[in-house]
Amino acid sequence: MPLDMKPFDAKSAPKISDKDFEQLRDYIYNVCGIYFHSSKKYFLESRLARRMEGTGCKTHADYYQFVRSPATGRSELTKLLDEITTNETCFFRNMPQLNALENKFLPEIIGTKGKIGFKKLRIWSAGSSSGEEAYTMAMILLEKRATLLKDWIIEIVGTDINETVLAQAREGVYNSYSVRNTPDYYLKKYFKEESPGRFLLSPEVKKLATFNQLNLYDDNKMLFMKSFDFIFCANVLIYFDTSSKSKVVQHFYNNLQPYGYFFVGQSESLHGVNDKFKTVHFPGGFTYNK
Amino acid sequence: MDKAAMMQTAQEMVESFVDLPTIPHVATRVIELLDRPGVELDEVADMILADQVLAARVIKMVNSPLYKPANEIKSVKRALIYLGFRHIRELAFTCSFVDVFEGRDGIFDVRTFWEHSFGVGVVSKIIAQRVRYPDTEKAYLVGIVHDIGEVFLSYYRQDAFRALLESVKGQPFRLVEKEAEYLGTSHSEIGLCIARKWNFPAEYCEVIGLHHDPEQAVLDPTLCAIVNLADLFCSVRQLDYGGNSWVTFNLAEEKAWAILRAYAPNLADLDVERFCYELDDRVPEILDMVKSIFQGIGAKEPS
Ligand SMILES: C[S@@+](CC[C@H](N)C(=O)[O-])C[C@H]1O[C@@H](n2cnc3c(N)ncnc32)[C@H](O)[C@@H]1O
Ligand SMILES: [Fe+2]
Ligand SMILES: [Fe+2]
Repeated sequence: MPLDMKPFDAKSAPKISDKDFEQLRDYIYNVCGIYFHSSKKYFLESRLARRMEGTGCKTHADYYQFVRSPATGRSELTKLLDEITTNETCFFRNMPQLNALENKFLPEIIGTKGKIGFKKLRIWSAGSSSGEEAYTMAMILLEKRATLLKDWIIEIVGTDINETVLAQAREGVYNSYSVRNTPDYYLKKYFKEESPGRFLLSPEVKKLATFNQLNLYDDNKMLFMKSFDFIFCANVLIYFDTSSKSKVVQHFYNNLQPYGYFFVGQSESLHGVNDKFKTVHFPGGFTYNK
Repeated sequence: MDKAAMMQTAQEMVESFVDLPTIPHVATRVIELLDRPGVELDEVADMILADQVLAARVIKMVNSPLYKPANEIKSVKRALIYLGFRHIRELAFTCSFVDVFEGRDGIFDVRTFWEHSFGVGVVSKIIAQRVRYPDTEKAYLVGIVHDIGEVFLSYYRQDAFRALLESVKGQPFRLVEKEAEYLGTSHSEIGLCIARKWNFPAEYCEVIGLHHDPEQAVLDPTLCAIVNLADLFCSVRQLDYGGNSWVTFNLAEEKAWAILRAYAPNLADLDVERFCYELDDRVPEILDMVKSIFQGIGAKEPS
């Protein structure tokens, strides 16, 4: 825990009313495209308390005014987002999405491509951070190596703007926090706990993914990220304003195969950002396709 | 498969069901009264008051998070004042219908039926409001009963059902299609036969028979489409008979969506993502509600 972050005393957090909660939720949704479920109300309440302390706002209504003000709003919003969106990543972060991929979308794409004899699968984790999302896919695909994906070429590309996290991704060493969601089966099979709380990812998983620096704002470079079957861009676009979001998502659209799928993070939304993608619903979430 | 043959099979099957329950009197009256002017609604209140078990269920239900009263409501009279006559009918109907499913645990747990049926009722009402369908209460009621065929088919034909589920393990499938394959008929036809036996009004029968084929509806295609979509939305969020079928869908390809788009052009602007997230928020309320129906005042409570 960083030193400037006081341990939080939940009891002292001012209670948020339903009305204030809904107001802030709508604002965050409209500006960032991320939806706060009612079940997250108390979580939001405790995180807001820190920001209210930081800004000297006494009530939620005051804070709401503050975060919307043209002068201070944008930078405050970034601070709020840092508090409420866990700005980090882990393996197997979005289970319903992974189940849908494994049971439905992967077999479907393998079927389509297999028919035309094009046995290559390309996956992009955009805003990959330290690689957990990309490697999660690698493990899921490795499980199908002997069956569905026999004789297939697999390419997984992770990109991020931040070189530090990319270096961590290439190294493939993780702490227990990163693997907290990892099913035992995968943990035993693909990790080696070198010392307590230090997990080395197995070379066969690492081999499947490469990591490159890429700024999603870089239009020229974005043009070269071609022909992906699955693109993930989870918990990245929330910081972008609507017009940058539209531009980036249009790149994803162009770079996705006609039968491919584009995934965003849990509770994220592309409404008003792109009207070409279609929504495909699956148990526990939705994804986008062309 | 031939529709007429499926109907024939369903007819024979329903005749063979031993101890098929009858429809509760309250449920019938609520449906009848739906289209009549307000005065006769006193009758619903009287019916609830006359039946202790029913009254207890209604009170339990009105105090659930779904209806959010500020203070606990302890009497039927208070419930009436709080909800108004419109909603009290929904509650009376739902609570009286508990008896119809009672004791039909077979391949599926009755509780999972309730979660699905109640979920489809609530979501049908929400969709009805969005598209400004005039009778949102009807959308709710018909949502509650849309799968009655499933309750009885899976209960009276357990062996065939078990074989069906065994055959699809882990693969995506739509239940109606598999039923036709394994049983020569489906819960739509079975439900339709039962609905006719119970003298349900024609639009109710239509929804029960065509909720998986809304494009074939003639009496009220909008209503069929509403229930069809509500069913899809519920089947991808924990209100799906315990996760047996692996449904995915794309609104743009659903006939029900096209029907509703034509009925309510404002749907073109619907924020589908947000709509989904809002539905997610309702799920715990719906599950809670069903849990409360099955707790304490269980389906059969000694009075
Ligand atoms: C919260 S992490 C998401 C990690 C992972 N996708 C997940 O959902 O768990 C956000 C990542 O986006 C990266 N990012 C932010 N802005 C970016 C940009 N303009 N181009 C590329 N990456 C960016 C950050 O460096 C960070 O690693
Ligand atoms: Fe059905
Ligand atoms: Fe259903």
